[in-house]
Amino acid sequence: MFRFLGLRLARALLTLALVVTFAFVVLRLSGDPALLIMSADAPPEAIAAFRESWGLNDPLWQQYLRYFTAIFRGDLGQSMRDGRPAIELVAERIPATLALTLPALLIKIGLGIPAGVYAALHRNSFADRAVMLLAVAGFTVPSFVLGLVLVLVFAVTLGWLPSGGQESWRHAILPVITLGIGGAAVLARFTRSAMLEVLGQPYMRTALAKGVPWHVAVRRHALPNAAIPTVTIVGFMVGSLLAGAVVVESVFSWPGVGRLLVVAVANRDLAVVQCILLLVAATMVTANLVVDLLYGALDPRLRVAPKGATA
Amino acid sequence: MMLSRRPLLLGAAAVASLPRFAIGQSDQRPAINIAVQKISNSNTLEVLREQSNVGERIFFSSLWEGLIGRDWLNELKTVPMLATDWRRISDSVVELTLREGVRFHNGDVMTAEDVAFSFGRERMFGDTPATAQGRTISVRGDVIPSPAQRELPAEVTGVARRSWPALERVEIVDARTVRFHNATPDVTLEGRLSRFGSEIISRRAYQEARGWFDWARKPVLTGPYKVVEFRPDHSLTLASHDEYWGGRPPLRQIRFLEVPEVSARINALRSGEVQFACDIPPDQIAGIERERAYEVQGGTILNHRLTVFDKNHAALRDPRVRRAFTHAIDRKAIVDSLWGGRTVVPRGLQFEYYGDMYVQDWEVPKFDQAEARRLLREANYRGEPIPYRLLNNYYTNQTPTAQVLVEMWRQVGLNVSIDMKENWSQILERGDARAVRDWSNSAPFNDPVSSLVAQHGPNGQQQQVGEYSNDELNRLSVELETGTDRARRKQVFRRMLEIAEREDPAYTVLHQNATFTAKRRDIKWRAAPAFAMDFRQGNWG
Repeated sequence: MFRFLGLRLARALLTLALVVTFAFVVLRLSGDPALLIMSADAPPEAIAAFRESWGLNDPLWQQYLRYFTAIFRGDLGQSMRDGRPAIELVAERIPATLALTLPALLIKIGLGIPAGVYAALHRNSFADRAVMLLAVAGFTVPSFVLGLVLVLVFAVTLGWLPSGGQESWRHAILPVITLGIGGAAVLARFTRSAMLEVLGQPYMRTALAKGVPWHVAVRRHALPNAAIPTVTIVGFMVGSLLAGAVVVESVFSWPGVGRLLVVAVANRDLAVVQCILLLVAATMVTANLVVDLLYGALDPRLRVAPKGATA
Repeated sequence: MMLSRRPLLLGAAAVASLPRFAIGQSDQRPAINIAVQKISNSNTLEVLREQSNVGERIFFSSLWEGLIGRDWLNELKTVPMLATDWRRISDSVVELTLREGVRFHNGDVMTAEDVAFSFGRERMFGDTPATAQGRTISVRGDVIPSPAQRELPAEVTGVARRSWPALERVEIVDARTVRFHNATPDVTLEGRLSRFGSEIISRRAYQEARGWFDWARKPVLTGPYKVVEFRPDHSLTLASHDEYWGGRPPLRQIRFLEVPEVSARINALRSGEVQFACDIPPDQIAGIERERAYEVQGGTILNHRLTVFDKNHAALRDPRVRRAFTHAIDRKAIVDSLWGGRTVVPRGLQFEYYGDMYVQDWEVPKFDQAEARRLLREANYRGEPIPYRLLNNYYTNQTPTAQVLVEMWRQVGLNVSIDMKENWSQILERGDARAVRDWSNSAPFNDPVSSLVAQHGPNGQQQQVGEYSNDELNRLSVELETGTDRARRKQVFRRMLEIAEREDPAYTVLHQNATFTAKRRDIKWRAAPAFAMDFRQGNWG
C-alpha cells in the first residue's frame, strides 16, 4: 500500500513539475508580459522599465530557474499586474468559483446518475428515449450557448433572474444551472451505458434465477458494479472544480478562478497562471488518487494486485 | 407637569437622529450601473499606470482632475479645471492660479503643496533623471520616503518621464500660485498639463497609503465621484463626492461592471440591470435600436486607426511600394460598410483640437488604383509576398478590415497575406517576416508633438522597434518639440506629414476610431467624443 501511494505521489510530483515547465515555456515564448500589461501604446520607456524591474531581460533559463527554485521555497511569485502575491490573488477567487462548481457538481450527480440509472432500467421505453435525447442535447450544446439562452429566457424575457455578476445568491442560479446541465448529461450517458452493460452480465441472470428480487439485484449487484466508470467521471469533475468554469464565468461575468486565468494568460501574468495551474493539477492529481482508492473500495477484485504487478 | 429624564433623553436622541435620517431619505439621486468590457487593464486606478482607453472611461471626468482640463462635451476644448487661469512667464515657465475651495475625497482642501507633490519625484519620477536632447538635468527637491514611494513601480516613472521629459521643478510662489519650470523651451507645457497623467492627488493620502498598490486601488482625488470599492476584474463602485467644487454631482452612485461578452452586456441592458452598455460593436447598433426603448450614442474619438509599414522589409524598402499601399485603399468603402458610416476618414494623423496647428488642407492619399499600379511598376515590384501581422479584433472591426484591405491591395497587384498573431510582442517581433501591421494613435494633448512625434519620431514606438527611420523627420521632430515660433512649427508639422504619409510612408491612416454606448432612451445624457463618460452636473436629466 505504501509503495503504491509512494509511486502515485512521485508521479503526481512529476506531473506538477511538467505542468509548471510546460506553462512557463509556452507562456514566455509566446508573449512579452511588459507589452501585454502595459499595452502596445505605452511609452517605450515604461515598457523597458517594466521589463527591467521584473527581470524579463534575463536569459529565459535564468528566469525559469529562479521561478522553479522559488516554488520549492513555497514562493509562487508575485503578480506583475497586481503587485501582490499570486497565491493571495488566486485564493481570493477560489470561494467564488466553488460557489458555482460545488452546487453544479451536486446537480450533476443528483440529476445525472439517477437519470442514467432510470433510463437503463427502462431501456427502450419512452422515458429512456426522452432522457437520452435531453442528455445528448445537454452534452452537445456548448455551455456559452446554453448560458446565453438561459439569460435570454430568465433574465431578459421573464426578468426573474439577473443576467450576470456576483451580487447575491440569485446571481449564481443561472451559471450553476448552465454548468450542472452539461455535466449531468455526461453522467447520465455514462451511467446508462455502465448499467446496461452490468444488467446484461451472467451474474445478474444468476441472481434473478436464484430468486433474488429485481430491486435487490439492482441495488446489490448492478449499482456497485456500474459505479466504477461513473466514479471515474465524477473524479474528473471533482478535479475540475477549480478551473472547470472558465467559459461560464466569462459569460456570466463571475469573478472566479476561471476569469482570473483568462485574464492572466492574456496578460502573460506568469506567476498567477502558474499558481492556478499548480492548484488545478494538484486537485486533479488528488482526485485521481482518491478515485483509485475508491476503485478498491467498490470492487474487491481491484484490491488484490495481479501476480507480477508492481503496483 | 413632571418630566422624567429618560423620556427627555430619548426624545433628544430621536431629534438628533432625525436630520441624518432625513438627509438619507432625501437623497433621491439615482444610482446607475454601467456594463463595460474591461474596467482597468492594469488592475489599478492610477493614471500613471493605467494609460488606456478603458482607463480614460472610468477616470474622466468622475475621478481624476488636472489643473487644466478638457471640455468633454464641447470639442474637447481646453478649460480651467483646478487652475482658474494660467500665463506664460517665459518659453519654459508657466504660472497657474489655483482654484480656491477644492476639496479632496478625504475632505482636505487642495493646496499648492499637493500640486507640487503631484509632480514630484516621490510620486512621479522616482530617481529617474530629467533629460532634454540627451542632456541630463538635475532636479531639485527632497524626497520624503513613504510606503507608496518605496513601491513606486518602474513603469510609472517611465510614463511620467514620457509625459514630462524635461520638467525641472514645480515652484510654489504663494498659496494660490504655482510655476512649472521646464529645462527647455516648450510651447506645449499647457497641453502637457491637460494630458492624461497630469492630474492632482492628495499628498496626505498618498503618503499615508500602506503601499503604492493600495494607493492605486483607492486614490484620493478631487473629481465629482470617489472610489468606494474596486474589485479587479469585477466592479468599480463610485459614490458622489458631495463637496465637489463644481457642484453636487447628479448621481448618488456609479457602478462599473465588467462584462466581457458583448451579448451579455446587451442582455444586461435589456433586462434593466444596467442603464448603460459600453463597447458596442457597430454591427450590433441596428439590432439594439430596433427597440424604441434604447439608443446607441457615441462616435469618433481621439484615436486614428493606421496601417504601419516596416520599411526594412525587402519588399517595402522602395517607398513607392508603400505609397502604392496607401493609394490602393478605398477608405470610404471601409467606413460605410464596416462602420455603417458612423466614423470618418480624418485628414491624416492629426486632430481638429490641435487648433492653430491643425493643417486644414491636408488629406490622406487619394484612392487611386491606377496610381498604385503605376508606382508598383516603377518600383519593379514583382509580386513578392508581403506578410501582414494581424491580431484577432484587438481593435473594433480589425479582422474584417484586414480582409478588405488585403483584397484592395490584391486588386492593384500587391501580394499581401495575413499572418495571424496572438499578442503584441508577436506582432512587433523583429525579423524578415515583419512588414505590415495595424496600430492606432491617440493625441494625449492638443499638439502634434503628442502624436506624430511621440509615436513615429525618434523616441516613438515605430522607430524604437526598428520599423522606421528618416533623418529629416527626426530632425524636424526635435524642432517641433523645442521650437517656439508657432508659424515655423506649423510648417515643420506639415513637412513631417508629407514625409511620414507621402514621401517615405511610415504608416497610412485608415479612419478615425469610434466607440459606442447603448443606453435607455429616456435617460438624458450625452456621450462625449471620447471614451470618457461625463456624469457631472449639466449632463444628466
